Amino acid sequence: MSTREQKVLDVSGLPTVVFGPKALLWWGTLGFIVIEGFTLVLAVASYLYLRQNEFSWPPGRTPNPDLLIPTISLAVLLVTTYPMYRADRAAKEFDRAGVIRWLLIGTALSGVACVLRWFDLLALNVRWDTHAYGSAAWMVVVMHATLIVLDFFECLVLAAMFMTGRAQKKHYPDVSDAAGYQYYISLTWLVLYLIIYWGPRVL
Amino acid sequence: MSSTEARVPAGLLNPAERELMERTWRPRRGLWGWLIATDHKSIATRYIITAFVFFLLGGIEAFMIRLQLARPENHLLDPDQYNQIFTMHGTTMMFLFGVPIQLAVALYLVPLMVGTRNVAFPRLNALGYWTYVIGGLFLYVSFFLNTGPDAGWFAYVPLAGPQFSAGKRVDVWAQMVTFTEIAALTAAVEIIVTVLKQRAPGMSLNRIPIYVWAVLVTSFLVLFAMPSVALASTAMLAMDRLVGTHFFNPAEGGDPLLWQHLFWFFGHPEVYIMFIPATGYVSDIIPVFARRKMVGHTALVLSLVATGFVSFGLWVHHMFTTGLPQLGQSFFTGASLMIAIPSGVQIFCWIATLWAGRPRFDTPLLFVIGFIVLFVCGGITGVMIASVPFDQQAHDTYFIVAHLHYVQMGAFVFPLFAAFYYWFPKLTGRLLSERMGKWNFWLFFIGVNVTFFPQHFLGLMGMTRRVYTYLPETGWGPLNLLSTIGAVMIAVSVVLFIANVVRSLAAGLPAGADPWGAHTLEWDTASPPPPYNFAHIPVVDGLYPLWERSPDAAVVTGMAAGKRQVLVTSVMDAEPESIYEHPGPSIWPLIVALTIGVTFIFGIFTPWAFLVGPALMFAPLVLWFWPRRKEPRERGFAEEPA
Repeated sequence: MSTREQKVLDVSGLPTVVFGPKALLWWGTLGFIVIEGFTLVLAVASYLYLRQNEFSWPPGRTPNPDLLIPTISLAVLLVTTYPMYRADRAAKEFDRAGVIRWLLIGTALSGVACVLRWFDLLALNVRWDTHAYGSAAWMVVVMHATLIVLDFFECLVLAAMFMTGRAQKKHYPDVSDAAGYQYYISLTWLVLYLIIYWGPRVL
Repeated sequence: MSSTEARVPAGLLNPAERELMERTWRPRRGLWGWLIATDHKSIATRYIITAFVFFLLGGIEAFMIRLQLARPENHLLDPDQYNQIFTMHGTTMMFLFGVPIQLAVALYLVPLMVGTRNVAFPRLNALGYWTYVIGGLFLYVSFFLNTGPDAGWFAYVPLAGPQFSAGKRVDVWAQMVTFTEIAALTAAVEIIVTVLKQRAPGMSLNRIPIYVWAVLVTSFLVLFAMPSVALASTAMLAMDRLVGTHFFNPAEGGDPLLWQHLFWFFGHPEVYIMFIPATGYVSDIIPVFARRKMVGHTALVLSLVATGFVSFGLWVHHMFTTGLPQLGQSFFTGASLMIAIPSGVQIFCWIATLWAGRPRFDTPLLFVIGFIVLFVCGGITGVMIASVPFDQQAHDTYFIVAHLHYVQMGAFVFPLFAAFYYWFPKLTGRLLSERMGKWNFWLFFIGVNVTFFPQHFLGLMGMTRRVYTYLPETGWGPLNLLSTIGAVMIAVSVVLFIANVVRSLAAGLPAGADPWGAHTLEWDTASPPPPYNFAHIPVVDGLYPLWERSPDAAVVTGMAAGKRQVLVTSVMDAEPESIYEHPGPSIWPLIVALTIGVTFIFGIFTPWAFLVGPALMFAPLVLWFWPRRKEPRERGFAEEPA
């Protein structure tokens, strides 16, 4: 029996809590952002594809979408990025109080964006079953609505975890990822807002 | 890297630690244990078995189609049954067998091949499987209730729209697609993250096995292809039928061709989602049986990546008869021809490896050689129909049926059977019978050719696909009968395979850890592998880890035996970065899958399901993620508080 020593790579000193691209969950979140983002790209491509079938856009006597509420909605989503940025920073400093404070503010603003989304739909000035333009516009706005609702509940549950003391060190990177997700949905809405609410004025 | 290397005596885990590791990773027993399981091998094994059951169901449907067409003016099935059966056959083979089984095999093999203990997100893995099962059951229960989809596996509108397909049959199809897409997307994310972040130290990207490259490329294909069909079926077709949207209604500005674009933007890459992992099996099996390293490893990997990219530029060749602009036709003809280049490179590499090696013609290699022959045939007819003038003659005839079955059977099912024979010993610890395997292969190979080769001629004679029956005067009878005889041979061959599996499970020869003298890491652990895969994660020092291992190769130590820990490494060089503790088994993935089922099944009947369903999903999702312990147990934080 050989008594040769086994060479080893000792990893006991490695960290168990990491942020950003070093963390598995960051990559998982990125994966789902790619899936959702590409679905939105295809939805917008379909919206533009259907444009070819009409002389005017919106077709016939359908009015252009209103701008006021969707612009407020955009502003709310963009403003939300700030508390989420602060929550991210607090998470990276393992600052529980900061995480709770900024997450709650972010969640509240996210909730406002969810409520406003209903009025964004009304601002389209068309029903989903009027014609293909209405169907496509509703589809894009509703699909993005599912993302902000998801984001709202994610922030809410995270905030609850930290407030009840259930959160552990390993949950701080989750706050960071939630912030990244919120940046993504805000920037996505900026693009969709321009296409859906301003687009008909130029297409 | 914060780790250190040191020399310590052999026998790294003492018996108490090993016992602790066994207890930590041991799956729970009984039905409850089965329902809450999150081990990738457990999930993947049931995934493979479920997909194989769907393969048998799809095969029975194919056999019924062949019986119906065996002679002119046959009325074995009525036209309505026939419509449902050919739709179920295509749907089952593509959505419930083809894609799922390739991802299932990857979910089993990838963690073992890259030297880790589980997939990146074990609970998500369970969710994907349960969602897939619910989708499959939903389709078949509907079918047995005479509500099986009947508009073809690609459900072209306007036939599949509300005007021409009343009732719920097409809705069942549309929602089944959603279930399988959710499952495929979750699997793809898991595979990508596992490959990029959980490789064993030393397994830099240029050292990962070709099969792992193949499933990595495939997973990216899934990521970009599946959203297209999910959007088209769930957000458009189902809504046109449920709430009166007009995506595909030309009277209100909709466009039926939008469906075709979205469907084939998914549908063509889907062929490669099934084919690319199959080439991965071939590229890992050939060196083992040729007993030499692969010729042109880099060229093979680049071909896989190139195939992945080009596969997204082909979808319009399914639409050559829809009246496309000339430039569009030329572009997609060019792209369709171009994909023959990376495929050709791979074939030359495989042949060169076999040529330069000392081949051992065991059953896995026979299936691989069968694959090469059939794939070349299917590839050549593919190049033919990439040409627009020819395609316009052959479109929707049996020539296309012959082509697609040569590609699917040849380039997907044959490598899959090679993989079954090759990896079965790893999954079960038992060898399959070589003698029965050779009968299995020859019956299958001859059967496939007897079934599908005559269909080229039937197509050129004018027999259209999906035709219910035909008159004797067409002269199609003899070739159709021959085709049906071939189908009988395939059926016998598959029965033989099942008998081989049953016999092996009962009395097969013990396989040992590595019965083939293979080179990849999965053969470095017991057969079947223990729940934690490797007692010590190996440190990899070559492209062929088991063939090139140096005598003093290192193993990883320092991971807690009492926790479900995995080692997280860097994307490019697999340098150890952190240790991540996986969550344990959980019932919540199953409960969430059930709420997804409720949402989409009731979504066929009422749009309110899309509000009620997610509300039902909320509580189980929170419970899934809600921490159960108050006290933090971690040690060694990455970034200390400021």
